Amino acid sequence: MLLGVKNLVKEFGGVVANADISFKLEKDEIVGLIGPNGAGKTTLFNCIAGYYKPNSGKVFFDGKDITGWPAHRTARAGIGRTFQVMRIMPNLTVEENTMIGGLCRTNNPRVARKEAQEILKLVDLTREANAYPTALPIATQKRIELARALATKPKLLMLDEVAAGLNPLETKEIIQTLQRIKEERNLTLFLTEHVMEFIMAISERVIVIAAGRKIAEGQPEEVAKEEKVIEAYLGERYAKGK
Amino acid sequence: MGQTIKDIFSFEEYPRYERIGLLIFIVIILIFPLVVGHAYSRAVMIKFLLFALFGIGWNLIGGYGGQVDLGQAKNVGFGAYTTALMMVWWNTPFWITVPIGMIIAAFESFGVAYPMFRLKGHYFAIATLCVALVWKELFIFWDWTGGARGVEIPVKATADFVHMQFPSTIYYHYFVFFLFITQLLYMNWFKKSKLGYELQAVRDNEEAAASLGINVTWTKVKTYTITGGLGGVGGSFMAVYYLYIDPDLVMPLDLSILIAMTVLVGGAGSMWGPIIGAAILIPLDMYLGAWLALIGGKYGIDYMIYSFIIMIIAAREPKGIWGIVERMRRKG
Repeated sequence: MLLGVKNLVKEFGGVVANADISFKLEKDEIVGLIGPNGAGKTTLFNCIAGYYKPNSGKVFFDGKDITGWPAHRTARAGIGRTFQVMRIMPNLTVEENTMIGGLCRTNNPRVARKEAQEILKLVDLTREANAYPTALPIATQKRIELARALATKPKLLMLDEVAAGLNPLETKEIIQTLQRIKEERNLTLFLTEHVMEFIMAISERVIVIAAGRKIAEGQPEEVAKEEKVIEAYLGERYAKGK
Repeated sequence: MGQTIKDIFSFEEYPRYERIGLLIFIVIILIFPLVVGHAYSRAVMIKFLLFALFGIGWNLIGGYGGQVDLGQAKNVGFGAYTTALMMVWWNTPFWITVPIGMIIAAFESFGVAYPMFRLKGHYFAIATLCVALVWKELFIFWDWTGGARGVEIPVKATADFVHMQFPSTIYYHYFVFFLFITQLLYMNWFKKSKLGYELQAVRDNEEAAASLGINVTWTKVKTYTITGGLGGVGGSFMAVYYLYIDPDLVMPLDLSILIAMTVLVGGAGSMWGPIIGAAILIPLDMYLGAWLALIGGKYGIDYMIYSFIIMIIAAREPKGIWGIVERMRRKG
């Protein structure tokens, strides 16, 4: 077990965003976390990565209890992440954005820069290395976030809506990139998405949450047939009508 | 080790015209006192170099760190008082008082940094301002610091490099220039260091920085501590330059604000920012003030003009004058 979440609860002033969620991730898996808007996907990510402290429940990663660890500690422990709302460093070049991720593992900026150049090659950003990120298209910026997270040498890479706002072609490209880096870097991937084509194409297993609760888990094709899931996405009428 | 030395002295990541500009700037400063004999102009030049020096130190936390610190005068005060009091009490050589003053300023900064960095933005700025004002009041209140009367450093019969007392301002010119260059080289190394990159990441986006394993608060605390130490150096210089210091000279609110202003007007987070800012604000302040007082005692008008210029720059170009150059370069 690489990541284990046990009975996790997160409330915001009485509003329950995550209620009693439990699941496990094994090494080398690609797992999708799906659910309608507002289901609590990003909150769950933030609880795991240390941006929120859960009200109760436990998070285990790589044999350690990391519940309530701050974000920089979970990153050093090996959890890399990207953000739903992009958080690019605008006054640093693409290469510098990436090398700062590398400084997580080395004290030498020169070593970090060299590694950053390799990672940029891996995600097809070599041409943009010296550009400033704000001038680049969204799809490219998503790749910068990906490169930056990869530079921290994560064991688990959590991608929050990495395909949101991309056109079908760009989505296809990012799927190929993700599959390639997973192979090359021995990663476990955990992704949220509400673009179903994307998540169904890439995931080996999906976890479905709705209104803060886990409602289903399993193979993508099976889960898609489950009544509860259809209900959560399309409403009760469609589930019954089937 | 070799790499560190290379990083300190190498300006190769700057474009060619900037390196030539830096060289021309250094040459002008070096020949200035040989060409210009006018005492007031020399004093303006020394004050310019002093504020460029202050600006480089402040630029770490304020520019590369993006944390608007309005309390740098307290660190100037710690440096100035350490040098002055040690010289009065024990006749300590200047070059021993400088590191001690830096350590005291850094130590105090480290002590107050953690609680202050629980605050962000304007609240952080207000906290820094308050801490600096508390220290100023304490230095006025205490007897052992000379209180409001200040400290006078006894004038030596002969000029020397031990106590840094000289018969001519030309020595002080090269002396403050030397301090300026050391901090410029430090800054050149700092921004290529691990902490330098981490700090810029924190400035640009704290959540993103944390996701890359950067401890955001600790990064700010470390930088704030270094900035404190660097501020002490200019204070030590003020003590031996003026040979008399009091809390109103070395620790006032005006000084804190002027230091921040030179960097913000010039362009925060760049090598040129403090230099350009000091080159505009200091001569403007000194010549305009003197000229207006001369033509009929119009005191105060200089402050109005001065504030007006700062307002225009703040409104039209929030990234400072160097920001214009930077923007044009990114486009081209």
